[in-house]
Amino acid sequence: MSEFLQSSYSGLLYGSVYGLMALGLTVIWGAMRLLNLAHGALYLVGGYVAWTVVNRLSLPLELAVPVSVAGAAVAGLLMYGLFIRPLVGRPGWDSATLIATVGVGIAIEAAALLVFGPQVKDFPSILDGSFTVERVLILHQGLLVIGVAAVSLLAMNTYLRASRRGMAIRAVSQDVQAASLMGIPINATFAVVIAISAGLAGLAGVLLSSTFYLSPTSGFTPMILAVVVTILGGLGSIKGTVVAAYSIGLIEAFVNVYVGSSWGLPVLFSTMILVLTARPNGLFGVGEVRRL
Amino acid sequence: MSVDAAESSLGDPRLDERASPWARPRWLLLLAVAPFALVLPLFLNTIDGGRFWLHLLIIFFVWGIVTQSWNLLLGVAGIYSFGQIALYAVGGWVTGYLAMQEGVNPWLSIWLAPLAAAAAAVVIGLPTLRLRGVYVVLITLAFLELLRNFLVNSPYEKISNGGLGLLYVPKLDFGTLGEGRSHVMFYYTGLVFFSIATYWIWRVFHSPLGMAFTALRDSEAYAVSRGVNQFRARLFLFAFSAFFTGLAAGLMTHYQGSISPSILSFGVLINLLAMIVIGGWGTFWGPIFGTAFIILLEEKWLREGSLQEYRKLVLGLMLAAIAVLAPRGLFPVLADGLRRLVKGPEGEAERDEEPEIATEEDAAPIA
Repeated sequence: MSEFLQSSYSGLLYGSVYGLMALGLTVIWGAMRLLNLAHGALYLVGGYVAWTVVNRLSLPLELAVPVSVAGAAVAGLLMYGLFIRPLVGRPGWDSATLIATVGVGIAIEAAALLVFGPQVKDFPSILDGSFTVERVLILHQGLLVIGVAAVSLLAMNTYLRASRRGMAIRAVSQDVQAASLMGIPINATFAVVIAISAGLAGLAGVLLSSTFYLSPTSGFTPMILAVVVTILGGLGSIKGTVVAAYSIGLIEAFVNVYVGSSWGLPVLFSTMILVLTARPNGLFGVGEVRRL
Repeated sequence: MSVDAAESSLGDPRLDERASPWARPRWLLLLAVAPFALVLPLFLNTIDGGRFWLHLLIIFFVWGIVTQSWNLLLGVAGIYSFGQIALYAVGGWVTGYLAMQEGVNPWLSIWLAPLAAAAAAVVIGLPTLRLRGVYVVLITLAFLELLRNFLVNSPYEKISNGGLGLLYVPKLDFGTLGEGRSHVMFYYTGLVFFSIATYWIWRVFHSPLGMAFTALRDSEAYAVSRGVNQFRARLFLFAFSAFFTGLAAGLMTHYQGSISPSILSFGVLINLLAMIVIGGWGTFWGPIFGTAFIILLEEKWLREGSLQEYRKLVLGLMLAAIAVLAPRGLFPVLADGLRRLVKGPEGEAERDEEPEIATEEDAAPIA
């Protein structure tokens, strides 16, 4: 019983982590057809801004959360202004943006290394304390992560369905030219999407750094798993992201507990290869219309 | 070499040489470079610090082969496979394992490296056949992670060595020829491998098959309707580019005398990608130029203590800047500039113009 409870709890926690990271990726892909490989670096920005606010400026962690979300959003907007916006409308969009975001990601990681050094930083939890159920240790911070992820996913879905700006984003993601002809400002919409996505990465950075620690390379693994989730779920589909995030989290947790912890990732990657072989556009992906 | 079915029914499938002057080998250039390349190590062997330059040249040969073959997939065919370094590891591990654990002579086992890599490429290539764009990135990265996991955690101690890799692989033995100057002999071996690989890659680049890949990249529907067999072309390209990558891996493994799972780290992947992208992907000379440039940057210019810390920062910013400022890469830009300088603006139509292989015709997603 306690094994089952342990795997379910960890699975839910992993799923929330992946969902939170993947949400930003999938929104960007949906609206802009851009696989943002600097997402892990924006996660780092969130983490390090929060660390600076708490340890250097001695301000409370509650204040650090909005500051680091804003910091990551600003970093995202800078990246957009300098490296993405000049590419809009140019040939070779896919490859150029892939390269540009990889480059930005490496540069931010390297900058973090230069400024903060390679040491792993201790990072405080927002909520301290824990309790045990059936010999399973449950951290308050873990419950917070699960809650925040669920709220973010729901809020994003509502925002895209119901708000005016959200509808503009969906219009742009369906057909940029048509949306532009209807008077939707394309560049402003892209900027909003990038800011939201980067802010989500920053939020993940604050929430997760106390669990995964903070070092210049700690953004990489969450990002790769988020990319896995996003692509498995079908790029650009929020529903797919939710399903993929929680199923991957649960699969990983159950394999870790019942089979052995060195099997989690291999099983995950094998599943991914199988899913993509059977469904080339992911579980819920809408196939791209083949261009002539 | 196999050519797609529709073309072969038209008789001789070779390109008309007059219609494609860039496809003619430049024998003069070759004749000028060859003696220089042959004498260079004998000269370097006599000067101070020459040995270091020889080392740089040997790793240039190895990575030059890898980037040229990867460029065939990435640049020419537009298949975003990130598994090239996994194929390198397969090749290196096979020959390293045989030589170190089974006592096979490296001169025999090294030939199994390209074969093993090509076989592995078919395994990786098959599931990617139905995938496009970034989905290919992911599935190939998944294979890379699986391989890394196997090499680190493998229950066969002889393969994983507790995650440290193969540490004491015998080096290539040059007998009496290599006494006291084995690095010179490694240089010549590297030169031979590099020349063979470059020649064959050049052939594919300028063959109807190469044209077919570019056509598939630029307009899949059009290429397929003109009779290009996409599956066969892709599988062939995967195996072909893996073959030479495996060969390079074999040479490197028996040159360094070791291979470890760190070869599969993200940093190595990014370095190789930077060589191709900064040099100019999709062009023939781009990866060669880029490999030399990045090796000089990393091993020579940014070698001193404090500068070393800026390597990754410089590399990242360069990648991002290249994507925005010179998406075709540095080589085409430099070549254009040089040509304009030498011959004036009208010189651009000369015969040594590379065919436009950069992604000019890709339909922009956002018009």
